[in-house]
Amino acid sequence: MLDGHLLLGWLSITLIVYLLSLPGPSAAYFGLTGNEPLSILPLNSLPEENVGRAHYKLCDRLKLEKKQRRMCRRDPGVAETLREAITMSALECQYQFRFERWNCTLEGRHRANILKRGFKETAFLYAVSSAGLTHAMAKACSAGRMERCTCDEAPDLENRKAWQWGGCGDNLKYANKFVKDFLGKRSNKDLRARVDMHNTNVGMKVIKAGVETTCKCHGVSGSCTVQTCWRQLLPFHEIGKQLKSRYEASVKVGSSTNEATGEGEISTGRGLQEPPPQPLPGLNDQIPRTMDLLHIEDSPSFCRPSKYSSGTAARKCYKDKNCDAICCGRGHNTQSREVTRPCQCQVRWCCYVECKQCTQREEVYTCKG
Amino acid sequence: MNLGLSCVCRPVCWPFGSLLDSRHCVFALTLLTLLMQVVVEANSWWSLAMNPLLIPEAYIIGAQPLCSQLVGLSQGQKKLCQLYQDHMQYIGEGAKTGIRECQYQFRHRRWNCSTVDNSSVFGRVMQIGSRETAFTYAISAAGVVNAVSRACREGELSSCGCSRAARPKDLPRDWLWGGCGDNLNYGYRFSKEFVDAREREKSYPKGTYESARLLMNLHNNEAGRRTVSDLAHVSCKCHGVSGSCSLKTCWLQLADFRKVGDALKEKYDSAAAMKLNSRGKLVQMHSKFNAPTSHDLVYIESSPDYCLKNQSTGSLGTVGRLCNKTSEGMDGCELMCCGRGYDQYKAQIVERCHCKFHWCCYVKCKRCTKIVDQFVCK
Repeated sequence: MLDGHLLLGWLSITLIVYLLSLPGPSAAYFGLTGNEPLSILPLNSLPEENVGRAHYKLCDRLKLEKKQRRMCRRDPGVAETLREAITMSALECQYQFRFERWNCTLEGRHRANILKRGFKETAFLYAVSSAGLTHAMAKACSAGRMERCTCDEAPDLENRKAWQWGGCGDNLKYANKFVKDFLGKRSNKDLRARVDMHNTNVGMKVIKAGVETTCKCHGVSGSCTVQTCWRQLLPFHEIGKQLKSRYEASVKVGSSTNEATGEGEISTGRGLQEPPPQPLPGLNDQIPRTMDLLHIEDSPSFCRPSKYSSGTAARKCYKDKNCDAICCGRGHNTQSREVTRPCQCQVRWCCYVECKQCTQREEVYTCKG
Repeated sequence: MNLGLSCVCRPVCWPFGSLLDSRHCVFALTLLTLLMQVVVEANSWWSLAMNPLLIPEAYIIGAQPLCSQLVGLSQGQKKLCQLYQDHMQYIGEGAKTGIRECQYQFRHRRWNCSTVDNSSVFGRVMQIGSRETAFTYAISAAGVVNAVSRACREGELSSCGCSRAARPKDLPRDWLWGGCGDNLNYGYRFSKEFVDAREREKSYPKGTYESARLLMNLHNNEAGRRTVSDLAHVSCKCHGVSGSCSLKTCWLQLADFRKVGDALKEKYDSAAAMKLNSRGKLVQMHSKFNAPTSHDLVYIESSPDYCLKNQSTGSLGTVGRLCNKTSEGMDGCELMCCGRGYDQYKAQIVERCHCKFHWCCYVKCKRCTKIVDQFVCK
C-alpha cells in the first residue's frame, strides 16, 4: 500500500514536471523570431510524382513546433508561403533599417542575442515577422496557392449598389485565423512573453488596418457605372514603413506591483513622472491597449562591435544624410568609382525601351573605424 | 652651469657610494634636462590667445623685451614678432577666434576642444597626431588669416592696406570693383610665414615620427588657410538712385568664420589617414580611398580614447559633461557617457522673457527662472 502511494506520488510529480517543461516563448515563434539559422532555403525542383509529399520535406526543414508542423503538413501551400513570408520580412527589415546604425543583420549569433533581450529592435522583429506571415498567407489564398482557402468572401451585402463586390480579394480573415493558431496564444505572467505577444498582435493589426478597396470600372466604354471592387492589402513596403514609424515611437514599459491588489501589472514609463493613470477595473493584468510597439529595455548604441551587432565600421553611408549618425563620430572614408548606368532612355514603337550607357564617377562613403 | 650641477650631484650621488663618478652624474643630469626640454616643448603660439596682449601702443616703447617675454613662440616666430610688433595682437585674436570656433564645432562631442592651461593650451592631446589635432591646427591658421586680413582692411596695420585683388572675371560688366576688401592675400602670406615658422626651422631625420608630424602640421595649416581663401566671396552694395541697384560697388569679403568652421568640420569628418613611405613622404594608409587634396585634413595616428581621463594622452574624460537625453548622436547620453550612465539634476536657469520694445528705442525684458532637467555623465 505504501508503494502504491509512492507510485502515485511519483506519477503526479512526473506529470507536473512534464507540464512545466512545456517549451518557452522562443519555440512557438517563427521566421525572423524563430530559432533556426536564417538561410533562405533554395527550393530544388522536384519531380511530378513527389509533389504530393514534397511539402513535408520543406516543413521538416523549417524548425517548427509540433502543432506548427501539423498545420504546415495539412496544406501543401503553407510551406511555400512560410518561406516567402520569411524572405519578405527579412528584406523589408533590411530595407527599412538601411540608414540606421542597426541595419537588421540577421546572420550569426547577433539575431539570437537581440531576441534574448527586450529592445525596440526585438519588438520590430516580432511585428514584422507576424505582419509578413499574415500578408503572405492572405496573398497566397487569393492567388490560389492554398487548398484550404480561396478568395475573400463578399462582405457587407447592404452596400450593393451599381457596383458590387467581386474580383478576388486577399483573404485576410483566414490569414488572421491561421497566424493566431500558428503563433499560439501564450498567457504567461512573464512580462517579456506578454510584450512579445503584444508586438506580434500589433503587426497583425497594422495589416488589418491597411486594407483598401480597389475597384475596376467596366461599364459602357470603360466608364464607372459598373464597377467591381475587392479588398486588397497594402503593399508590404507600406506596412514596413508604418511599422518603422511605430518602432521610432515605441513605448517603454516596466513591470510594477499594484500596491492595492499585490499583483504585477504593466505600467508605461509615463507613469513614473506623473501620477499613474487609474487602472481599468478588472484589467489589472493586461498590457495597455495601444497600437504602439512596446519594449522593456533601452537599446545599446550599435556603434562598436558587440554581441548584438558587428558595429558600424565600413558601413556605407550617404554624406548629406546620415554619415554623422551612422559613423558615430568616427568620420568616413571617400572612395571614387565609375558607375555605368542606363541613361537617355527612349521608347521605341513597339514596345521596347532603348537606353544608352553613361558612365559617371560617383563617390562612395564608408565609415571609418 | 656645470659647476652648479656638480654641486647638486654630490649630495645626490652620495647614497650610491663611490661607484658613480661625479662626471657620469653630471652627464646624466644634463641629459635629463635636455629630455625635459623636448617634452616641455609642447608650448605653442596658441598661448597668444590665452594671455591677454597689451594694446599696440605699448609695443612702441621698449618693443624687444616684450617679444621675448611671450611664451610659446619659436625662434623664427620671435624674430617675426620683433619685425611686426603690431601684428601680434591680431595673431592673438585670430588664435582666440580659432579656439572659440573649435569649441563651438566640437561642443557635442567627447573631446570638446577644451583648453587646459595657458602655455600648452590644449595639453598633451596635441602631441598625438590625430584628427582633432589636424582640425585644431587648421582652424587656428584660418583664424590668423581672418584676423590679419580684417585688420589690414581696418587700417590697423602699417604694412598693409585694402585688398588690391584683381577684379574677378565673372563679375558683370557694369558693376564697379573697388571698395575696401579684406586683404586676403596679405593675411594668407603672413599666416603662412608666422604659423609655419616653427615647423620650418626644424628638421628631423627622414622616417621618424617627428618628421611625419611636421609634414602633417604643414599640410593642415595649409588646408585651413585655403579654406578661408575659398570661402571668400564677392560682396556688393547698391548705391544707385535712391538706393537702387543701378550702381553697385563690389569687393572681396571674407566669409563669416562660422562657415569656415563648418567647412573644416566636414573636412575633419573625411580626413585621410596617412603614413610615411620609405622616401620620407606622407602617403595614404589605404590606397583605395581618394587621395587627400591640399584642402583636406590629414592625420597619422588614430584618436585616443576620450572617454576616460588619461594623463599620458591628455584626455580629460567625459565625467561631468552635460548630455542630451533625447539625442541619438554623439551628444546623446548613451554615447557621451560611454555607457557609464548619467545622473539627473534639476537646475535653475535664469533667462530673459516677456521682452517689450519701448519707444524709443530700447528693449526691456523681465527675468524668468525656470527649472530644467539636466543630465550629467557619471
